[in-house]
Order: sequence, then structure tokens, then C-alpha cells
Amino acid sequence: MIEFLSNPQAITDFLSTSLRLSIPIIFAAVGGVISERSGVFNISLEGCIIGGAFGAALGAYLLGTPVAGLLLGVFVAMMAGLLLAGLAVGLSINQLVAGIAINILMLGLTSYLARLILGADATSTLPGFHPIAIPGLSAIPILGPVFFNQDVLTYLMYLLVPLSWWVIYKTPWGLSLRAVGDYPVAADSAGISVPRVRLFAVLISCAMAGLGGCYLVLSQVFVFTEHMSAGKGFIALAALILGRWNPIGALLACLFFGFSDALQLRLQFNSPDVPYQLFSMVPFVASFLALVFLSGKVRPPAAIGIRYERGGK
Amino acid sequence: MPTNRFLSVCKALAAGALMIMSTVSASFADDFKVAIVLPGVITDRSFNQAGYEGVERAAKELGIEFAYSEKTAQPDQPQALSDYARRGYDLVIGHGGEFQESVDRVAKRFPDTKFLIVNGTEPGGNVSTMSFDFAGLGYVMGYVAGRTSETGQAGYVGAQKLLFYVQLGEGFEKGFMDARPDGQVYTAWTNDWDDVAKGKEAALNLISQGADVIFPSMDNAVVGSLQAAKEKGAMGIGIYYDAIADWPDTVIQSAIFDMRSALGEVISRAKDGSLEGVSYIFGLETSAATRIGSYSDRVPSEVEGDVSALIEKIIAGDVATR
Repeated sequence: MIEFLSNPQAITDFLSTSLRLSIPIIFAAVGGVISERSGVFNISLEGCIIGGAFGAALGAYLLGTPVAGLLLGVFVAMMAGLLLAGLAVGLSINQLVAGIAINILMLGLTSYLARLILGADATSTLPGFHPIAIPGLSAIPILGPVFFNQDVLTYLMYLLVPLSWWVIYKTPWGLSLRAVGDYPVAADSAGISVPRVRLFAVLISCAMAGLGGCYLVLSQVFVFTEHMSAGKGFIALAALILGRWNPIGALLACLFFGFSDALQLRLQFNSPDVPYQLFSMVPFVASFLALVFLSGKVRPPAAIGIRYERGGK
Repeated sequence: MPTNRFLSVCKALAAGALMIMSTVSASFADDFKVAIVLPGVITDRSFNQAGYEGVERAAKELGIEFAYSEKTAQPDQPQALSDYARRGYDLVIGHGGEFQESVDRVAKRFPDTKFLIVNGTEPGGNVSTMSFDFAGLGYVMGYVAGRTSETGQAGYVGAQKLLFYVQLGEGFEKGFMDARPDGQVYTAWTNDWDDVAKGKEAALNLISQGADVIFPSMDNAVVGSLQAAKEKGAMGIGIYYDAIADWPDTVIQSAIFDMRSALGEVISRAKDGSLEGVSYIFGLETSAATRIGSYSDRVPSEVEGDVSALIEKIIAGDVATR
């Protein structure tokens, strides 16, 4: 069943696949952590991924450079974030409803605009980021090529995950973020603007999910197709729960999901008797079990999903 | 003048439950009306686009009114189907084998409406099914791949194990092995019709196993698999249309299941009242519906003649394709 593990090249290929399948959900899940830490459910991660992917494709297609794609992708995702913040923080509309509405909007809007703008060119290969080997590190047997022969966005992910952890747990702004998410009344009385912190958190969150979409288009497949997010935003939500609202935990959960996805693709022809659906279930079963067995030990931010009104009861 | 309506409907709060319904209707003198409910988007360059264009073309040729709903999630199928039946559509099409259950349920409530399931398996009463000889054309593709492959290994990538896609893969494998008795065919199921990234990774995996011909059969995700083949210099097989136009250096041959011609045939039967509750299967003998596409110059030229002879043999029933 796992005899392919005896071949170093096969292990490298397998781990590379795991990593590539994880990266879009890592971006989205860490983004989700930031938003949820501030007390706003970000159900719209899926919409931000597809928005980021569409922006990336559009920028790369119109301007011929992946950097333009990256910027436009992040911008489109942040616009979705602005909408979420406007609805959920500004107008105090139910965060889940607003998030779902944004998902539907982004899915429909990107499909419509893609047909309008990309049209017949939809399958032509877009300019993208290509792997850059880091001298020295990439020569490490087996793991070197997996982690250190990657494209710019992967290296960006290596930076953003510890940076997010550091910002959340070690900086004054991170303290404000967690205070707003856990006990907004206290944060407010300490002079922290609850809406402003939440607005920034949602914008950063959506920008990161947008990076996940950019990765899909600019580093992975070099084309945009409708609904190419294919539920990755929801997998990211599962990952952030499994990762206990912590960027490092979310990273590990995403790597685990990517690993099980890759295992599904790989194991099938080695042992066709194992039903492939088994592996597709893994992210959801794992998050479910995490919720059951970690209940009590870990809790979501206390004020998540609750709208905050100054002077409210 | 056709009118365009675009409305998004949010059903249930289930995450991701999405349905974009768009209705295009054109009024003609005849009042026979046909509607098609599609699981994916009409621009996937695969199964859904083929179905949409099939109905569109047939409606134009026969001068009838048509409507469609795209991206209909499985839980929304009965609603979409019965909506069309209630609004007086004479023929309601469920595009894909996954519609079997919902059509069976809805068809009982609307005995005067005809239902058609593309790739359905159980016809009867007012339910007809239509499909192609997937194994037969899959066999031909496998044969072409076997004669062209350098490594003697090929990969088949499917989304879900629906009957016809299993048959397509089995035909492909048998054809490949008959052309290349020492060869090997790997199969991967991605469990997602649209996930381009997964389609690509699945194909990359097969290529790293040694496969140099990849035959993907999903919807949108086909693009990812062919992209992987293109990047690695491997070969690909197109599906539903002559895909060499989009992938000139990669695609070596295409399995053309021509929905346009097949749906045209079935819809005109429905219009003149001769559509029965049986299964209509279009095999290689109806070349308007099931045929091969253009060859790439990577295929050795002597193969072309052998393939034509092979197709004759399959039509005559002399070759077991599964």
C-alpha cells in the first residue's frame, strides 16, 4: 500500500503535492484566524478565494505580469472584505448571513465577468510565478526540493504564518485584537475602537484568503475557471477550528488536510480497494472530532458572532 | 429577441449551497418547450457546455422554446425540475447520471411531462435516458494512447465513480492493454468535478508514476489535468469536443461525445411524440454523436488506418470493449 515510500523521488513528489494542495487553504485559514480572533466569523473565505483567483487572472491577463495579478487579486478580495465589514461590523447584520451572501455574490460575479472579459481565452496559459530554488537548502535530500524549490507565494506563506502568530500574541495590536474578540466591552472602555479593529481584521483576513486564490491561478494552474475555489474556503474554516484559532495550529491542520488529499490521489492506484471517498471525508471528520474531544479545553473567541453596540446591554 | 434573466437563489444556509439560475427563452410559433437542468457551469468546455450547446442548437433548428438552469446543486435538483414541469415545459432534461433519483421522484408527480436523463441508467414510464457507448469510444482512445505512448503507461482521471465514467475508464484501459499487452493504466478519482488544482495534481501524480498519456473526464477540472500534461511534455486525450484546438501540443486525440447531435435526435423525437420510456444509446455506428476527433502529429501515421479498421470492428461487434 505504501511501497512508493521506498523511492526518494516518489516521496518528494508526494510531499510536494501535499504542500501545493495545502497552500491555498493555509492562506485562507490563517486569514480566517485573524478575523475570528476579532470576533467576526469569516464565512466568506470561499468568496475571497474565488475573488482573489479572478483578480489574479484578470491582472495577469490584461497586464501580462503575475505581479499585477497578485495586486489585483488581493484588491478584489479586500473589496469583498470591505463589504463583509460594512455589513457585519458597520450595519451589525448577522455575520453568517452576510458571509454566505458574499460567497454567492463572488461566485456569480466572477463567473459572469470571466465570461465577459476572459471569454474565449479562458484556457490560454497565464503568466505566473515559477519555482526559485534556494541555494543550499534546496539540496537537502527529499525535503529540500519540497520546501525550498517553490515559488514566491509559497515563501510569502512561510513568512506570513509566523508573522501572524507574532502579531496576534506578541504585539499591542494583537492584544487589542484578542480583547475585542473576547470581551469587547472591556476593550472599548480601555479606549480601543472595536469597529476599527474588526474592520482591519476582516480586511487582512480577506486579503490573505485572496492570496490563496492568487496562488491557485498564478502558481498552480495558470488558468482561471469558474468555481475553481471548489470549497477550499470551507475546508479552511474546518482547519481553523481544528487549529484552535491559532495560526500555527491552522497551518498544521491545513498541511494535514493537504496530506490526506495527496494520499487519496496517490493511494488509489496502489490500492484501488480503499474507497476514495474515505479520504475526502478526512478534513470534516477531523474537525468534528476536534470539536468533540477538545471541547472545554479550547474555546472560540468569546464574543464571536455577537454584534457590538457601544453602551449596549 | 431573447431576453436574459439572471437570478441568484440562495437555498438553505448550508455552506456552499449555490444555484445560479439563468433563463434564456425565445418565443417561436410552436409551443413545444424544452428545459435542461445542469449540474455545472455552461462554460466548462466539457460536459455541461456540451449539454447546453446541444439543447440550444436543437431548439434553434427545431424552432422551439428552451430554458436552462446551471450550477444546480444536488439538493436543489427536484425543485428545479418540478419548477419547469409546473411551468408547462414538455420535455425536462436532467443533465447527468446524478439526476436519476430526483427525476424518478419528480416524474411521478408530472405524468404528462416527458423527462430525459442524460447518462441515466433506469428509464421507464415518462422517463427516458440517453447516453453514449462510453466503453467503445474509451477503447478507441486507449488504443490510440497505447500505440502512441513511449513509456507504455497511461493514466485515467475521473471525478466520481458514476457508471458511465467507470465504463469509459474500463474501455480506455482495455484498449490500451490490447494495443500494448505489457502496458499499464492507472486510474485516479478526484471526487471533484471543478477543482482544477486537484485535477492537475492527480495528473502530475500519474505522470510521476510513469504515465505519458493522460485521459481526464471531469468538468472544469479537465483543464488542470491537461495543463499538467502540457507542463511535463506528456500527452492528453480530450473529451466531448475536438480539444486539440485548445491544446495543440498536448492533446493527441479526443473522445467526442456529441451532445448536440444526440440531444437533437432525442428532442425531435419528443417533439413529434415518439419519445419512449427507454434508453437511447449512441454508439460508434452513429458517428454524428460518438466519434473521434483530429489526430496530433505525435500519433504515428500508420495508427490512423488501424484505428479506422478498429472502429469498423467495434461497430460489427467483433471487439469486446470492456
